[in-house]
Amino acid sequence: MKILIIEDEKELSDSIATYLKSENYICEFAGSYDKAIEKIELYEYDCILLDISIPGGSGLDVLQELKSNNKLDGVLIISAKNSLEDKVKGLNLGADDYLPKPFHLSELSARIAAIIRRKNFDGNNFLRFHNIQIDTRAKSVSLKNKTLDLTRKEYELLLYFVSNKKRVISKNAIAEHLWGDGMEGSNDFIYTHIKNLRKKLIDAGDVDYIKSIYGMGYKFSD
Amino acid sequence: MKLLSKFHRVNVVATIIVLLISGVCYYFFIKHVLIEQLDKDLAIEEREAKDFVTESNALPDAYAYKDEEEEFIQVANGNVVRKFSSVQLFNKSVNESIDYRQLEFPLTVAGRNYKVVVRKSQEETEDLIQLILTITLMMVLLLLISLFLINRFILSKLWKPFNNTLSQLKQFNVSGKNKLLLEKSDINEFTELNQAVSIMTNRVSQDFNEIKNFTENASHEIQTPLAIIKSKLELLSQSENLKEEQMNTIQSIFEAGNRLSKLNQSLILLTKIDNQQFVQNEKIDFSKIVFKHIENFEELIAAKHITTVVNIAPGVKLNINEDLAEILISNLITNAIRHNLDKGSIDINLSSHFFIISNTGTQPDRDPGELFERFRKDKVSSESLGLGLSIVKKICEQYQFSINYVYSGNRHITTVGFNN
Repeated sequence: MKILIIEDEKELSDSIATYLKSENYICEFAGSYDKAIEKIELYEYDCILLDISIPGGSGLDVLQELKSNNKLDGVLIISAKNSLEDKVKGLNLGADDYLPKPFHLSELSARIAAIIRRKNFDGNNFLRFHNIQIDTRAKSVSLKNKTLDLTRKEYELLLYFVSNKKRVISKNAIAEHLWGDGMEGSNDFIYTHIKNLRKKLIDAGDVDYIKSIYGMGYKFSD
Repeated sequence: MKLLSKFHRVNVVATIIVLLISGVCYYFFIKHVLIEQLDKDLAIEEREAKDFVTESNALPDAYAYKDEEEEFIQVANGNVVRKFSSVQLFNKSVNESIDYRQLEFPLTVAGRNYKVVVRKSQEETEDLIQLILTITLMMVLLLLISLFLINRFILSKLWKPFNNTLSQLKQFNVSGKNKLLLEKSDINEFTELNQAVSIMTNRVSQDFNEIKNFTENASHEIQTPLAIIKSKLELLSQSENLKEEQMNTIQSIFEAGNRLSKLNQSLILLTKIDNQQFVQNEKIDFSKIVFKHIENFEELIAAKHITTVVNIAPGVKLNINEDLAEILISNLITNAIRHNLDKGSIDINLSSHFFIISNTGTQPDRDPGELFERFRKDKVSSESLGLGLSIVKKICEQYQFSINYVYSGNRHITTVGFNN
């Protein structure tokens, strides 16, 4: 999977690349408008992370260029300008998603995975992790061919874990992913959800993949 | 009251008063002039009578016509005083009383004293005065009609540039991009007004854009380093073999960074609402939004064993920006969950006029009015930023919704009244 990171803040693009590398994504960088145009004309990417304010031009112009060349690359706008106009403009121009900075890398990774899944036209809407099979179209989960009865939030939580497997995910990131910005502060309630999901997976006869990492959050791994 | 109708009213009243006063003055003045004329005529009659007596030493013949008569009354002594007076006498020829002007004067003919009375009818004079009054009244009427017509057709046309400017100003939106389209006028006052208005609105728009750019830049400048900090911490937390102490440190920095970025976002949001940068107002289904957020928080509500009583009228439509509506509802519901007791309850009511949310909770340690101020927070939940309610208040102010909070019967009750 090839990802192009159009972002002038080198430290940030490095972090993103390091995080994504372990998901087997190959990352390329473009730190300016010209570089970005050059890259998108030469290559095709599964997903492009696009910052709006880049040296030499606007990320929205890059998006326009991309769309006028009928490129099918997925586009995720990552902008510090949390401005409604840019968001609306970007989505109207054909971006797939919009993520305001600062974001959790785990959230970014989940969004990229979602975009790539949607871009896949071969009808492959199944995600697998050992015995767990997630049908992202039907939003259902089955374990050893037995459908699991999960609530919507539990489904989203599991999908988030699988998109960020073998990573430490902070409680904060989980809370924001599930409830948005609204629930600031105490994240203890997440515990209940994790507990329920864990119980359902174990009851269905699987291993306990969810590990608590003391003080930090959770990790989904074998 | 409209300036035009006020002006018109004053104008009409003044005109009527002036015309009536001048009518009265006319009446007396002309009456005076005409009577003087009559008196002169009577004096001529007197002289003629006296001349006749001097010439022929005999009395002239007395006569009586409809409008003029002369009579000679013999008197014993000669102390007849010459005087003019107005009298009303019955005239046999027309069979009615008529006003006369008369002159009495003494006359001595062949040693006999006479009192001579010469009278002239005042009827013509009165006719004239009546005519004058009629003309005056007609003038009043004519003036009123012309004033009405002027007001109706000419003045409203004259004021058109002003009304146009006014309607443009009413539609003026500081965050909108289209400039005012002010009509050109050949009237100096309106041209000046338009100039002042366009200078002012341009400056306001410019200031607004500067503030808006500043807000966006500030947001950008702060969010980027924050994004780097957060991403590095996230990477750091992936490292193997971290000591417990180090993990705690990372977590602390992480939380602090999170709070900082949320604080920044909230402050930017407040500024944006202040700057009225949320303009895309459309009629949105408020009921749907409330439902959506109740559903979204359902697990959190369950986690605290809170029971909910939800009573939502379907299809409540409000003219409000959708994002702000979401923030409003989400903040109120989050507050009701956060400041609730274990096994407490939340009541949510929505009608086309009110949104009422109430929850069980402990007595607030502050004055209810202070709760809406920035950075005010209840002691029990120190994790909150203390901006949620001031954002709610700002959104309500933006849409002229009323917001009211009371604590009664162990419940926090917040009521939002829509301005429909």
